[in-house]
Amino acid sequence: MVVSVRSWVANEGGKHLVLVLWLGANTWLFLRTFLLYSTGQQYYYLYKMLGLGLCISRASAAVLNLNCSVVLLPMCRSLLTYVRGTHTVSSRKTRRLLDKSKTFHVACGVAICIFSVVHVSAHLVNVVNFSVSYSDDFPALNVARYRGEDPRLIILTTVPGVTGVLLVLILFLMFTASSYCIRVSNYEIFWYTHNLFIVFYIILMVHMVGGALKYQTNIEAHPPGCLRANQSSPEQQGEELEQSEDEERRCREEAHFQPHCPQTWLWVSGPLCLYCAERFYRYIRSSDPVTIVTVIRHPCNVIELRMLKRDFKARPGQYIVLNCPGVSSFENHPFTLTTCPTENKETFGIHLRVVGDWTERFTELLLPEQGIASEILPMVQQRRYPKLYVDGPFGSPSEEVFNYEVSLCVAGGIGVTPFACVLHALLNGWVGFRLRRLYFVWVCRELKSFYWFAELLCALHHKLWQENRPDYLNLRLYVSQTDKLQSMSEEKYRPLSSRLLVGRPRWKLLFDEIGKTNKHNRVGVFCCGPKSISRTLHRLCNSARYSGTTFEFNKESFS
Amino acid sequence: MGKIEWAMWANEQALASGLILLTGGIVGVAGQFRGWQFAAYGVAAGVFVCLLEYPRGKRSKGTSVERTGQYCFTVCVKSFGPLTRNYYVRAFLHAALCVPGGFMLATVLGCVCLGISSLIYLGAAIHGEQWMPILPQKEQTRKPVGESIKNPPQNPPPRPPAELRRKRVEDLEGAAYVNPIAVTAND
Repeated sequence: MVVSVRSWVANEGGKHLVLVLWLGANTWLFLRTFLLYSTGQQYYYLYKMLGLGLCISRASAAVLNLNCSVVLLPMCRSLLTYVRGTHTVSSRKTRRLLDKSKTFHVACGVAICIFSVVHVSAHLVNVVNFSVSYSDDFPALNVARYRGEDPRLIILTTVPGVTGVLLVLILFLMFTASSYCIRVSNYEIFWYTHNLFIVFYIILMVHMVGGALKYQTNIEAHPPGCLRANQSSPEQQGEELEQSEDEERRCREEAHFQPHCPQTWLWVSGPLCLYCAERFYRYIRSSDPVTIVTVIRHPCNVIELRMLKRDFKARPGQYIVLNCPGVSSFENHPFTLTTCPTENKETFGIHLRVVGDWTERFTELLLPEQGIASEILPMVQQRRYPKLYVDGPFGSPSEEVFNYEVSLCVAGGIGVTPFACVLHALLNGWVGFRLRRLYFVWVCRELKSFYWFAELLCALHHKLWQENRPDYLNLRLYVSQTDKLQSMSEEKYRPLSSRLLVGRPRWKLLFDEIGKTNKHNRVGVFCCGPKSISRTLHRLCNSARYSGTTFEFNKESFS
Repeated sequence: MGKIEWAMWANEQALASGLILLTGGIVGVAGQFRGWQFAAYGVAAGVFVCLLEYPRGKRSKGTSVERTGQYCFTVCVKSFGPLTRNYYVRAFLHAALCVPGGFMLATVLGCVCLGISSLIYLGAAIHGEQWMPILPQKEQTRKPVGESIKNPPQNPPPRPPAELRRKRVEDLEGAAYVNPIAVTAND
């Protein structure tokens, strides 16, 4: 598929610009610090002793400072949700960049790992040089206590050495537990090791205490390379030197050295305080337990949960994080909201699919298995629901559906949940949004899955017909499993059964059709489903040919 | 809540430590530092650990994700049988391998990381985990259509005589009867 420059710039331009800026900042910082240490007068003697290892280690330390401070910012989710909500502050382009906050966090993390390797290697070389090139002329510069001291002893007896070893170990634990495989299979290992970040930052801030690297303070009085009182210039043998020049090159006083003040806290304390405040705020906000109002069982292993919480406000497309101490005290699971609280109705709801042990156990607590006794007598007793805590709501890309004139929402299976919330909001009132047309494509494996939101879809369809805007919602349902005979027989679901197609959708034809009917427009494409669908859609959005229509791709992901 | 599979994390750590040990060994040998024989050992040990740990084991519950091109490594590692299946063996092997790395500066970091992964393997072994190879599954043939579809019944099901079957509008409940032979298929 040919990539169109305009589509590519619209979809990928912002992300790549941020990437280039970030790489540029890192490179500039690295080179500036490298040159400072290799050519700076105050480091002349230190450079002579340690060589290139000094420059590389300090330059990589500067880059590490930058990345350690910036890596925390994309994880301040409540702050990002707030920024997303304030339309006056940010344009849609900036909000789309917020979708990639986790990717940026990963990029900074990888940079921290790489530059830590560089930093540690350079410092190991420095330690060897401290031991081998023990300076008798400037004893204040030395870190080793005597010439030829074992480098491992130097590491273990200085504060920077010991803290450095601890930092590397923590980073090693965090890094090895962050691979995709571990996050998918054992999320707890990832979560608990990643929470060691606070130990990492505290140790990082004391890493420079002890001042192993010193700079010279009296450059005017003692220009580096000057001759000392009892030394003679090497060129003096057999040559006549002017007396004044010789005088100039004599040192007026001994070199004084002073260690640097630790600088890391300047970089790191701001974002760290911000992140800790954010975590504290989230903890306080979620400490109010919610009241479970109803639990409804849907086909294909889906449970709908309606809840009530004081002062809970949410926008369509946002998600919440559930914590149920009765199931597991420390596990938090995200679920997209399917109904938001409005002025008339204060309850909010989620649809959760039962797959995995947490959801299974949670469902057991909510809906105890109906025994044989219930066939004889209906259960009329007060349900004892488990205690539940809700953290959120947090922003997601699907909030932007209302901000395009034309939107295409593609949902795969349970991925329909963010769009269900959008449809509920349209049902409450579709006038007043920028959105003028919504293409809604829902692909499911089984027909029964459509019953999750069949009533909502039909109600919205009827409302739009009554209010004379039948072209507002363009609904297409696809059943991808083709071996069984499928149809929805209920009369009230006629709008759905007449729009039901068997087989996988053909995306290129769909894009061609949308492109032709919305020429020179900007269409927002929102995808929430399996990777194969989102990859195909992303490629189609970047390619050319749609008569001037630009498709902007927004992906919602659950991991 | 739920069983945590420690072995998977230990595997990632061991692979990373093998790489760190290998890198440190290469640096030590290239720079001809004091004690470079330990660095040469580090290179060999690093390569061995990487080869051993590259194939991922099968998860006990859920889908296992393979590393690219790990099939040939899986076959090699599987051929050692219980030596590679048991995690106690791996834990002690890594603990033994990491000790000589501590004698040289360049390989110290690899030694410590391998030690940590050896501890986690020990934890996994205590939890009773085992290394199962990920082998490609044979194509599961679809369930064949039941034989009875090919032999439809020749005769209608037995019914009571005609006068009983006539619709008696005045006594519908008395006219109901139960078929003596089951009519549903494939029971």
